[in-house]
Amino acid sequence: MPSLAILQHELRSLRSSWLVRLWLAGSLLLAILILAPGWGSLQTAPLLAAELVPFLVFPWCLVVMVLGVTPMSGGRAEEMADGILCRPVTRTEYLLAAWAARVLVVLGVYLVVLVPAALLITLAERRVQDDSVTLYGVTASLGAVGLVLVLQVSLGFLLGTLLRSTLLAIVVLLFVWLPVNIVLDTFSLETFSPISLNRAVPRLLRQPWSETAEAAAPAEGFEAVGSWMDRFSAAFSAPVESRDPKFFQREGYDDFSLAWVVLGYASATLLSVGLATTVFCLRDL
Amino acid sequence: MAAAAICTEHLTKIYGDRLIAVNDMNLEVPRGTVFGLLGPNGAGKTTTLRLLLGLQRATAGKAEVFGQPCGPNAVDVRAMIGYLPTHPNLPGNLRPVEYLDLLGRLCRLPSRVRKPRLVSLLRAVGLVGHTEQRIGTFSTGMRTRLGIAASLVGDPPLLLWDEPTAGLDPAARRFTLDLIRQLGKTRTVVVATHILGDIDQICDHVGVMHEGRMIFVGTMGQMKQRLRRDHFALDLEGDPAGVQRLTEEIGRLEGVDARVDSPQTIVVRLAEARPRASTLADILRLVEPAGLSLQAVHSGQNETENAYLQLFQEDEAHGFQRFDLGAGRPADALAGDPPA
Repeated sequence: MPSLAILQHELRSLRSSWLVRLWLAGSLLLAILILAPGWGSLQTAPLLAAELVPFLVFPWCLVVMVLGVTPMSGGRAEEMADGILCRPVTRTEYLLAAWAARVLVVLGVYLVVLVPAALLITLAERRVQDDSVTLYGVTASLGAVGLVLVLQVSLGFLLGTLLRSTLLAIVVLLFVWLPVNIVLDTFSLETFSPISLNRAVPRLLRQPWSETAEAAAPAEGFEAVGSWMDRFSAAFSAPVESRDPKFFQREGYDDFSLAWVVLGYASATLLSVGLATTVFCLRDL
Repeated sequence: MAAAAICTEHLTKIYGDRLIAVNDMNLEVPRGTVFGLLGPNGAGKTTTLRLLLGLQRATAGKAEVFGQPCGPNAVDVRAMIGYLPTHPNLPGNLRPVEYLDLLGRLCRLPSRVRKPRLVSLLRAVGLVGHTEQRIGTFSTGMRTRLGIAASLVGDPPLLLWDEPTAGLDPAARRFTLDLIRQLGKTRTVVVATHILGDIDQICDHVGVMHEGRMIFVGTMGQMKQRLRRDHFALDLEGDPAGVQRLTEEIGRLEGVDARVDSPQTIVVRLAEARPRASTLADILRLVEPAGLSLQAVHSGQNETENAYLQLFQEDEAHGFQRFDLGAGRPADALAGDPPA
């Protein structure tokens, strides 16, 4: 019961936060501004999506990270100690509930804006091409971008726990996040960079589910597991073997591996939350 | 025998190897007492309370509440404590009912217990008429009263209230002190404060902290006994020349020194061997023949305040005597040897 109570309390606080309201309003306004003038000129659904997604998600990374930072730092930390953590609640319960609330709000705002936009794009009577957008593509794209947002929240959480000053945590986050593409490129890990994900979204949107479904169809029982494992390992080894230093210069992004990206972002997220939990449990309030 | 409400052994808290907030504290708070944790600002009172709550980790030593060890994950300990911080920082976007309901859920209270309790608590602290307001709009006094209600939501057997009367107007202060006295009949209450008047009115036991150390623990009676009552003041009404004459007459008594402090006040100091009651009777017998009227007899300052200040003076004066020079030295070391 305490975790649920904290989750609901945090959701209520976030709902009334001016930052979240501003973000929601800004995203909706931006979606309208992008879609309205481009509606006539952008011929295909992937083109519309390619236009929309970068502006609806990535410019708001600072807002997402600030939302992650706030519960553990500044005045909120004192409020949390005086109001909640002096009650019969473990720190882990509080931390995970606060994290879950932020993830839900961030994904909520993201989906509230993007799902109607995606539906609008999909349902609009556009010239159908062979490589048109697919339901799987839309789902996979939304999921992958959502995972980036969850990672941003988690990074904010980690730094908010490590550094008690909200402002300092935000500044450090910017220094960590903004050059992330360059750093990943330096270590030949550009497939994980938000830029590569951003650029791969149009292709991902066109990717049919059938590719996966056809491959899985003959597999039954242990064969199915074996086949899945083969593809799983292939998915992870492929980017390493076929690494091309000109990753960002290619148009097709054929070696973009969703599984690899998902695992990369999920691992970083889990690591951030795990570290934040450890630091928070050891810290004085 | 039942465990003490609070027991600490060599409890120490040092911030960043620089600031010693709590220094080797040994404290036992008996069950069912109203315990005053007294000390100036920065003495370590709040840190002690936060160590008991597990909000901070002890650098050394240990603390127990009703026999259970304190710590960050000691949920069972926190379930037994109702904490009121100084100037409670409460969520401003909530209304009082919502806030108390949240705390009730954190205390794992079922709805059938929680709902009636929060209503009766709001009534008890006089906030029933403000349930529509958000906490953010509350005054300091209202926040404190809500904080008091919040500390009682779980019906805990131990209350830790940190400066509960700070910033309150006289009426709110009176209400809080009466409430503490009332609550002290059924549970253990620890009140951390530097306001001596509060301690005097409500506490039966007291601990005095100075620079992180507990320099005195005992009953209020024991603390006041420490005060050497060797002087008092007489407030008089009448001719100033009469006051002067009376002063001279008192001064002729054996073992008594008297001086005029103000035109209508005489300060009398007694020699240590002189019996207080009979000497005072002798002095009072001289007042009316001198053509004066006695308005009041008092010891000049509040007794608790005197005892408190005296404790600090002694603590400062003892200096190195506080340090156990023998600790850590071999048993056969010579008395004059420096510590290892």
